[in-house]
Amino acid sequence: MANITKKVSWSSRADESAAAGESTPLLNGSEQPQHSRQDSLRGRPKEIPHNEKLLSLKYESLDYDNIENQLFLEEERRMSYMGFRCLEISRWVVCGLIGILTGLIACFIDIVVEQLAGIKYQLIKENIEKFTETGGLSISLILWAVLNFTFVMVGAIIVAFFEPIAAGSGIPQIKCYLNGVKIPRVVRLKTLVIKVCGVICSVVGGLAVGKEGPMIHSGAVVAAGVSQGRSTSLKRDFKIFEYFRRDTEKRDFVSAGAAAGVSAAFGAPVGGVLFSLEEGASFWNQMLTWRIFFASMISTFTLNFVLSIYHSHAGDLSNPGLINFGRFEGDSVTYNLYEIPLFIAMGAIGGFLGALFNVLNYWLTIFRIRYVHRPCLQVMEAMLVAAVTATVSFTMIYFSNDCQPLGPESTEEYPLQLFCADGEYNSMATAFFNTPERSVRSLFHNQPGTYNPLTLGLFTLTYFFLACWTYGLAVSAGVFIPSLLIGAAWGRLFGILLASTSSGGAQHSNAIWADPGKYALIGAAAQLGGIVRMTLSLTVIMVEATGNVTYGLPIMLVLMTAKIVGDYFEEGLYDIHIKLQSVPFLHWEAPATSHWLTAREVMSSPVTCLNRIEKVGTIVDILSNTSTNHNGFPVVVQVLESDEPAKLCGLILRSQLIVLLKHKVFVELARSRLTRRKLQLKDFRDAYPRFPPIQSIHVSQDERECMMDLTEFMNPTPYTVPQETSLPRVFKLFRALGLRHLVVADDENRVVGLVTRKDLARYHLGKHGLEELQLAQT
Amino acid sequence: MSLYKSCLFLLFSLIDINVFASGDVNFTPSEATNQMNPALSSSAAGVVNSAVFKPFADSVFSLNLLSSFPEDLEISDYCVELLNIFGQRYVDYVKCLVPAARPVKVCQNCFSTYGILVDTYQNISSDQMGPGNVSCRDSLLRSDRLMLVYQLYSNLEDLWEKSNCDHCITATFQSLTNTTLYFMTVLNQTITCFDQYKERNHTELCKNCKNTYRGLNELYGRMEKNHTLCIDIEDAMNMTRKLWSKNFNCSFPREETVAVIAVSSFMLFLPIIFYLSSFLHSEQKKRKLIHPKRAKSYNSLMNIQDKLS
Repeated sequence: MANITKKVSWSSRADESAAAGESTPLLNGSEQPQHSRQDSLRGRPKEIPHNEKLLSLKYESLDYDNIENQLFLEEERRMSYMGFRCLEISRWVVCGLIGILTGLIACFIDIVVEQLAGIKYQLIKENIEKFTETGGLSISLILWAVLNFTFVMVGAIIVAFFEPIAAGSGIPQIKCYLNGVKIPRVVRLKTLVIKVCGVICSVVGGLAVGKEGPMIHSGAVVAAGVSQGRSTSLKRDFKIFEYFRRDTEKRDFVSAGAAAGVSAAFGAPVGGVLFSLEEGASFWNQMLTWRIFFASMISTFTLNFVLSIYHSHAGDLSNPGLINFGRFEGDSVTYNLYEIPLFIAMGAIGGFLGALFNVLNYWLTIFRIRYVHRPCLQVMEAMLVAAVTATVSFTMIYFSNDCQPLGPESTEEYPLQLFCADGEYNSMATAFFNTPERSVRSLFHNQPGTYNPLTLGLFTLTYFFLACWTYGLAVSAGVFIPSLLIGAAWGRLFGILLASTSSGGAQHSNAIWADPGKYALIGAAAQLGGIVRMTLSLTVIMVEATGNVTYGLPIMLVLMTAKIVGDYFEEGLYDIHIKLQSVPFLHWEAPATSHWLTAREVMSSPVTCLNRIEKVGTIVDILSNTSTNHNGFPVVVQVLESDEPAKLCGLILRSQLIVLLKHKVFVELARSRLTRRKLQLKDFRDAYPRFPPIQSIHVSQDERECMMDLTEFMNPTPYTVPQETSLPRVFKLFRALGLRHLVVADDENRVVGLVTRKDLARYHLGKHGLEELQLAQT
Repeated sequence: MSLYKSCLFLLFSLIDINVFASGDVNFTPSEATNQMNPALSSSAAGVVNSAVFKPFADSVFSLNLLSSFPEDLEISDYCVELLNIFGQRYVDYVKCLVPAARPVKVCQNCFSTYGILVDTYQNISSDQMGPGNVSCRDSLLRSDRLMLVYQLYSNLEDLWEKSNCDHCITATFQSLTNTTLYFMTVLNQTITCFDQYKERNHTELCKNCKNTYRGLNELYGRMEKNHTLCIDIEDAMNMTRKLWSKNFNCSFPREETVAVIAVSSFMLFLPIIFYLSSFLHSEQKKRKLIHPKRAKSYNSLMNIQDKLS
């Protein structure tokens, strides 16, 4: 029973609806009796532990909608035909630069990781060899743990203390950004630097992580930086690309950057484009798609080219992607019709395991947000995970009896012998004593019989929990590679078992099932699909990364099954993390069964409006009011002298008002100083994207009495809806136009309310029907 | 019928070109194009036709047919001679190879016969004209689809390459390299040592032969790095290692299980303490709820109440 109370108190506007007893917030009639209970809860403090049903105030919308004020029209009139052509060309140039820089960053990460990991593993290998003979292997264990520990400590410190937003894979954040949410500090240079260093530290530190997810974030930051032609962090302005200094253009470039990141990470240019499409598709056009594809291609090409020089066969461009699945060729690619059901079954297993992973990670993340929120604790946790990862790996290797001969084709970089016979190596060590990427590749491509089932089973089990525990730490690291690795391990196991069960039967069928590498690939796809629940883009990424279109159908089927099965239990990992960060994320569609909600219930009201010619003091007071952190203000004209709400004539943003105040565009001053330069759109762009807070703008007592004319600067044609508009309709407008504010007006064009992203995002379809999220300060 | 013939001809010339384009590295492109010269390839195809489609049974008849070829297509005596020599050498080499298959001694036993075989083949395939201004390369190596001589030779060449014998033999097939000889000596020492203690206790063997064995292992490791290994050495080393680890059981025993378990359980214990302490001592993060302004619903008093509270 206590459980129910909790649920009610968490969900949906409990306090507000309680007294009224109306049916607004909760749809189901069955919940009606519980409302009376809430009266007793009214007295409780308005502080609750963090949970997933909150919306944070710190996230704001991007201004995707173009503000067509007079300044804009003027600028457009001044711009020549050539000017527009130049803009178009510079868009292409920017995309090319994004591709090149993203590719270079990927190379940098790859090379540094390879070098550092090489040194680390060589050191440990020598140590282990020494102590296998003389005794004292526990010292090797401690050495391994300490090395991991140190690297991860560096990585965690820079993330936790300097830029917490760089933690994790960054894909949820970029997803939000493309959805139209401004995540503070997500596309800054500092974030990029810390992300790159953090990824290197965490991969070299031997955590169960990959470097692919962070590449997407890095690409996005590069795009956001390059397209602005300046760096606010470095205080350098190159005076180029000034036209792109607004959210609309920037976001287009960020989607190109994300695509370039995917393409560099997996060598999958088309997959990158589709990733951007899948995540940010509400604002899309063909030219943009084409440009994004260009950026992706350039990024893969750059990566290829630089890596070919690094591997000292310059000009060989067949080195795609950070993770290279290797080539699936010859017999291993063939699959038969009767294998399709098996693949689908594997998809179902992947979906189930993925959901399990997500549920465990969900509880862990809630615990972390509630209890492990201080930076020093986060660093300690990351260090502990690193040490435990090393310990578990070592123990597994130590007790493994699976010895395999060193074959001529074996590509083990650091074969560990330990207690195996001479000329043989420990098979468990190929999985654990290696960077995760290499382990994935060896699971895909090593000959049948390289791993015995027990090794694979134990490996899957431990790695599953390690990866689950690692994701969400304060280190920058991705979940792609660990998922692939888990999946590849159990997929290979599946393949081996299949071959052994069928070996009693006909000899020829055994030949087809003999290659466990194929099942490893399918398992990897299933597991990854089960965890992240991406569909189209993931299929294409996997197909491109394997370089084999033949696998298109099985991979698609597997991902579909994994998604269906997984969604039955739990959402995708990225969605969970978006929810837990209380981001007002707008999904594709309004929640079903929400047609009965109208704009009247959804909107915020009453609205703080400004007059067209407003006193400076009033504006300053409104902006400085900390309790109402509004961002858009409808501009109204008073009808005669009545008390009625005035008629709507425009919309002005906080950022615009601040720029106006900074430049002191007051009516009185304009009269006295006729030579004064007219404010241009450029002045707004120069302040973008970090508009100064209102506190930093000094307005004297005299100036407070001045008046400000907003006519020139406001958006004269804001979108409005009548009060009776249903929620899905409003939702569609928001999603399709990328709106930030939607004014609700009555039949006489008077402002009744204002709908913002948070008003819409708070409705979601829970297990008990329509639920509402609460706004909270975080 | 004529259509069928010309189809066949086309087919064969295609096969010819394909084989020459992909198969043989010795032929330069100019020679390959020379081969495509229509007059020559048509006659070659004719030969192929007759030679291939004859049943094996009436070989006498086929001989008759061959002897009736015009003068310029006849194979010269010199070439026949070369072919015979090649056959002889070939047989010698194979005879040497087979007994050396297990334990592998193909490099050390047969390198000289291989050297002679290579010489002979080079004679056949060289550009130089023999007596009577004839080159046997075209007539012996590539006048037909089967290209028997070439195939036979390239099979053995593959074998030689796979066995990496080049690494152990001096460039002119004179002798084994010095490193190989040195390895053999060390190997012999080790084996002698094994033999010495084999009858007695194995632990004694492990102790006493450890140094020689380790020396051998290190030498092998060095040679592996320098890429001076051939199949003989690899196989010998493999057998020795197997003897050492499997027969005599001299691998390292797993002795410090307790220490490892102790250290790892200590490590595994740390996170439990960490999470427990942060659960008990860390202040739980609370979120302050904020109540947005909402429009008055028709019969709702809540906004008034909210403002009051």
